[in-house]
Amino acid sequence: VAVPRVIGVGRHERGDDAAGRLVARRLRERLGPDADVQECEGGAAELMDAWRGARQVVVVDAACSGARPGTLHRFDGADGPPPAIFRAASTHALGVAEAVALARALGELPAALVVYGIEGARFEPGAPPSPEVAAAVEALAARLGAEIEAAQKSP
Amino acid sequence: MKGKPARTLKVDHLARVEGEGGLHVRIRDGAVVEATFRIFEPPRLFEALLRGRSYGEAPDITARICGICPVAYQMSTVHALEEAFGVRVEGPLRELRRLLYCAEWIESHALHVYLLHAPDFLGYESAFHMAKEHPAAVQRGLALKKAGNELLALLGGREIHPINVRVGGFHRVPARRELQALRDRLEWAREAALETVRWVKDLPFPDFERDYEFVALQHPAEYPFNEGRLRSSSGLDLAVAEFEKHFSEEHQAHSSALVAALAKRGAYCVGPLARYNLNFDRLSPLARQAAREAGLGPSCRNPFKSIVVRAVETLYATDEALRILDAYEPPDAPAVPVTPHAGAGCACTEAPRGILYHRYRVGEDGTLQEARIVPPTSQNQRIIAEDLREFVARHPEPDERKLTWQCERVIRNHDPCISCATHFLKLTLERG
Repeated sequence: VAVPRVIGVGRHERGDDAAGRLVARRLRERLGPDADVQECEGGAAELMDAWRGARQVVVVDAACSGARPGTLHRFDGADGPPPAIFRAASTHALGVAEAVALARALGELPAALVVYGIEGARFEPGAPPSPEVAAAVEALAARLGAEIEAAQKSP
Repeated sequence: MKGKPARTLKVDHLARVEGEGGLHVRIRDGAVVEATFRIFEPPRLFEALLRGRSYGEAPDITARICGICPVAYQMSTVHALEEAFGVRVEGPLRELRRLLYCAEWIESHALHVYLLHAPDFLGYESAFHMAKEHPAAVQRGLALKKAGNELLALLGGREIHPINVRVGGFHRVPARRELQALRDRLEWAREAALETVRWVKDLPFPDFERDYEFVALQHPAEYPFNEGRLRSSSGLDLAVAEFEKHFSEEHQAHSSALVAALAKRGAYCVGPLARYNLNFDRLSPLARQAAREAGLGPSCRNPFKSIVVRAVETLYATDEALRILDAYEPPDAPAVPVTPHAGAGCACTEAPRGILYHRYRVGEDGTLQEARIVPPTSQNQRIIAEDLREFVARHPEPDERKLTWQCERVIRNHDPCISCATHFLKLTLERG
């Protein structure tokens, strides 16, 4: 089992949008500074740079679908296009889903890619993460940490 | 006589929570009777966040307002505070600030030209649909953006939110060899930008000229980044300190943003088109030449052609970056001394999307007492609504889907920064 690169996506000081980066930080605390863990703001181009060279990648981002805050969403890059209607149109936020679609079109998608989205409750500038998201961050970091440690030990 | 029932188009997928922007158009008898373009603007909240903070923290706080144009926010902040403290930043430090601005224009314009705007002209729903059939062009766009990012990372400390800028200069300045290490990359970027101008010039542009009042900075010798007087195409010529006397903002229903207007004249246009029309003769010879070869004269009033103007500005930014890089001699100190005291200052700089105005009032101990931020997108909101009305009137389109798409194109021409707020993974799948 290969050890994946983990990329935490989001922005600090935007409430729950920091979720992915908080997971990345937790993982670095647990696995040490040499762990293959990165953080980025989530622009499509930055993300494609962040996963370049890695065969197996886990991306963690905040999500906003109307589900209960703290809900964990997951999609696997092998399952085809991301499960939502994403429009490159009109905003600068070409995010994770756009990065997946763009990378696939250009043949630059990692061999294995899993994206987790933690459903957020609040995204105001200056706001701290909500308790539901903080708990989801801990749970996902623990799960990914255990998976990575197991992969590190496997021959 | 009773007209046909009004048709209502809503384009809400621009949007989710705060990062949202939405378009609402009501059409009756082929005419737009209402065009509401909603945006959320984090600057309002940041104005409150800034109060009570030390002046030294301000550039790092305002840089977080926007993930695409953090340099613009930092630059307007430091220039305004330097004015409050009576500090002038000249020589190599001033040049480094221009270089930082070049980096931001390169990455912001490359993103818009290749990933957001070009698909509109080539008939693709999005950049990734376009990427399948135009992979080389999309790769070039991504690499061009990356060249801007690398320059930003070198000067700014990190790519997205540069943290190396401070009031008075920088925390650290690069050695000559550090800048020279990027020379080949920027040479490539200049070629790629030239290629970009040639690529976009032949796109099919709708026939749509508008009689805008353009507003941009103008400097005696430079294409404007950090400094200049406020000029308009109908003769306005103001010091930046007079901004608030002439430009007012008002609340509009359906929008948390304030909408700017020019006193007695109403809507005005800021951004690449405005800069280009008011500063064509200040472009570098290479950029001017490329613009002419692309069929642009010194004036361009078709907002759809802003994609060509952005490409020309990208070429200028690479050319200017190379000029600065080659002439660079490191300054004696990374910053000039700053002694905070009570005062007020304001500044305008040219963000990729147009003039960004900041004003601060500072207390005796250097604490910020008041902050005012007027971003380019709120200034362009009226123009965008007017464009919508005009375009639909001149290009009636019975098919709802096509009309919606055309309205989106009209908005995209102005590259509105409607998602300064947050990046989202928009998912419909739910589990757990």
